[in-house]
Amino acid sequence: MKSPGARLGKKRAAGAVSLLAALSLLAACGGGDGDGGGASAADSQTDSGGAITVWVDPPRVPAAEAFEKAHPDIDITINQIDGTVGGKSLQQQFAQFNQAGKGWPDAIFFPSNDDIAWASGAQIDYAADLTELLPDVIEGYDEAVIAPCAIDGEIRCLRNDAAPDVFWYNAKFFEQNGYEVPTTWEEYGDLAVQIAEEHPGKISGFTGDAYAPDRYLWASGCPTNARQSETEVVIDLDDPTCVRAKDLLTTMVEADAASPLGIFDADAASVGKDLVMSPGAAWWGDYLFRTTWKIPAGEMTAVEPLAWEGEDSPSTGNEGGGLWGVSSHIKGKQLENTLEFARFVATDPAWQVELSTGLPAYGPVQDAWAEKQAEAKYFADNDTTFEAMKAAISHVKPDHAYMLYNTGSVWTETIAPALVDGQPLDAAWSDFGTELLNQAKAMGYTVK
Amino acid sequence: MTTALTEERAAGAPAPTPPAKRPRTRRVSRPSETRGAWTLMAPYVVLLMIGGIIPVGYAVKTSLERSPTPLDPTTGFGGVDSFKTVFTDYRFLDTFTNVFATLVVWLPIMMLGIVGLALLIHASPGRFGSTMRFVYYIPGALAGIANFVLWVYLLNPAQSPIEGFWNALGIETIKQAVATPGHLPFILTAMMFFQGVGSWIIVVNGGLNGISEETLEAASLDGANAWQLAWHVKLPIIKPWIGYAALMNLAYGFQLFLEPQLLDQVSSNALPDQWTPTQLGYAFAFSNYNFPAAAAMSLILLVITLVIGLLIVFRSGLFGEEEH
Repeated sequence: MKSPGARLGKKRAAGAVSLLAALSLLAACGGGDGDGGGASAADSQTDSGGAITVWVDPPRVPAAEAFEKAHPDIDITINQIDGTVGGKSLQQQFAQFNQAGKGWPDAIFFPSNDDIAWASGAQIDYAADLTELLPDVIEGYDEAVIAPCAIDGEIRCLRNDAAPDVFWYNAKFFEQNGYEVPTTWEEYGDLAVQIAEEHPGKISGFTGDAYAPDRYLWASGCPTNARQSETEVVIDLDDPTCVRAKDLLTTMVEADAASPLGIFDADAASVGKDLVMSPGAAWWGDYLFRTTWKIPAGEMTAVEPLAWEGEDSPSTGNEGGGLWGVSSHIKGKQLENTLEFARFVATDPAWQVELSTGLPAYGPVQDAWAEKQAEAKYFADNDTTFEAMKAAISHVKPDHAYMLYNTGSVWTETIAPALVDGQPLDAAWSDFGTELLNQAKAMGYTVK
Repeated sequence: MTTALTEERAAGAPAPTPPAKRPRTRRVSRPSETRGAWTLMAPYVVLLMIGGIIPVGYAVKTSLERSPTPLDPTTGFGGVDSFKTVFTDYRFLDTFTNVFATLVVWLPIMMLGIVGLALLIHASPGRFGSTMRFVYYIPGALAGIANFVLWVYLLNPAQSPIEGFWNALGIETIKQAVATPGHLPFILTAMMFFQGVGSWIIVVNGGLNGISEETLEAASLDGANAWQLAWHVKLPIIKPWIGYAALMNLAYGFQLFLEPQLLDQVSSNALPDQWTPTQLGYAFAFSNYNFPAAAAMSLILLVITLVIGLLIVFRSGLFGEEEH
């Protein structure tokens, strides 16, 4: 039974709700200046008079510091940012900068290559067109290497390192067991199954990281990211190129020849020691095998990418190979100094040869980098490895753009949980396709 | 209220025979008391405006705008389009399903834990009871990120002191522990229970301590055992406190964001980025750049939590006045 007091409480509560609604409407009528867009406020370019601010992820801090040392005359502020591949915090900050009309860094290293999609898109429109600003630097790039930055006829970023996938294998293990290095993707799948049977625990690939679709689907030419225009994309997981990649992975997963973990997982370091072969980026050698997984020297080595049966030339994908961007919101001395920074981090041997662990994207310094890396005598066959890295650049499949939806994230959210749960890849594959289509549409793409 | 009635007597209010039809009269406040009340309320009202009313108003305004797109960058009045965008989004229902799945597991366990442990503490007077109250409270002192870091260790079979438990379930990696389909509601339940139960025990225990000794003694003299005392005497009296705990925990559960967002990172992005409604609102704002849809999403959440909140308030008599 309710007391009169309870009824009074009800009246008060109802009154409070009415007051809330009334005040909300009042504030709605009077609040804000109604700009709504935000990007329009960013049209006017600023000039600080020279001082620049650069944002870099942790591995690129030495690049910014090397620039600071080489150019003491330029006032620079280095801001270290979250380097998580597929992270969303950077995108959030830029949306807020556009709302506020200020706050953008003058130059940035994008932690995810997909970031260039929003950074060059109409809504954020941060990345400056460098075509006319740094023509001599752009000329030094192989067309295939700078392709991720070539958007609608404009070069909107500079590539830090070329990251084509080569074919890595453990030469010592292969020699001890008399295995032949595969030359086709199909041979790779068969050998992976054979090794898993003969050496339980040994693995021939990782399937659970955001780069896995690049490693296998992109390498097959599967249209997950075939950009037609800013608002149109082709996604077709029923394409034969997708199906052959899926079949390969299904075979390997069923035979326990591939780990459901990803290369960046906390547990990957212990599993990585059992990796006997895999397609993987050029930077896997130094970053993963030597530094992170601490596989002994003289074991791992790389050869040129694999070819699909019936095709004449090798076919491979690309994993990362970061992108540098320059702000479109600056001019004058500030822009001049920022371009000097961009030129340095993209081309200067002080960073690209002496400090960077990835194969430089800028062609003229690649040989010097290879020579420097060879001094460590880490790989079983240094010459073949570095030649394979350079050759792989031209085998990266074209027609794969970085988009507003992140294929890698969709993969890790659908395929990875299913595989760690021991489910077959086939079931998760349809979830992957559905989520890919849904996300693309939610981002505003018309999917063809 | 008891205090008000006591004050009335102390003031010597002349009430020889209360009117038959009006057993209870409202006391008329003096102007000085009214001023005092407003002075006390003023800082809260200011904070309520800044942190509550004005943002809600701004959200209403934003939700009625049109979101710019790459094809049509113009803005302006968009009517209820943003609400349509939210309701028809392919993730909308899923996010609520996920939150309900978590609430179904978590809320009963939480409420049982709060009430059960508070009753046990109240039934254990002296040093043991107060020691246990302190012990239960300790995890609540590990606020936010500290609690999360602790759970990252617990959830990682490679480091966890409960490694044996994970191994018994056939789980060997943190990704398996967190990202295996169906695990998340239980993990979130464990995290939120551990962090929240201690603080709420203190609150409900406060309610129990407010029960007069005479009441409990009278019940004992009538032959009530400890169980009957708890069920028939203590629980009905502390109903408003239980309602308050349920209300606040429900509101917290609906606004889940931090835990699934960070668990996604430690499991190498193997969880959906938009698992809860608040994460979906975040995605509308910062992935789709659709601030009107984000505002609409937050208003939808506000309405849902407000309705549920009012229901609980009226059902539990949380803000009702006691009858004497």
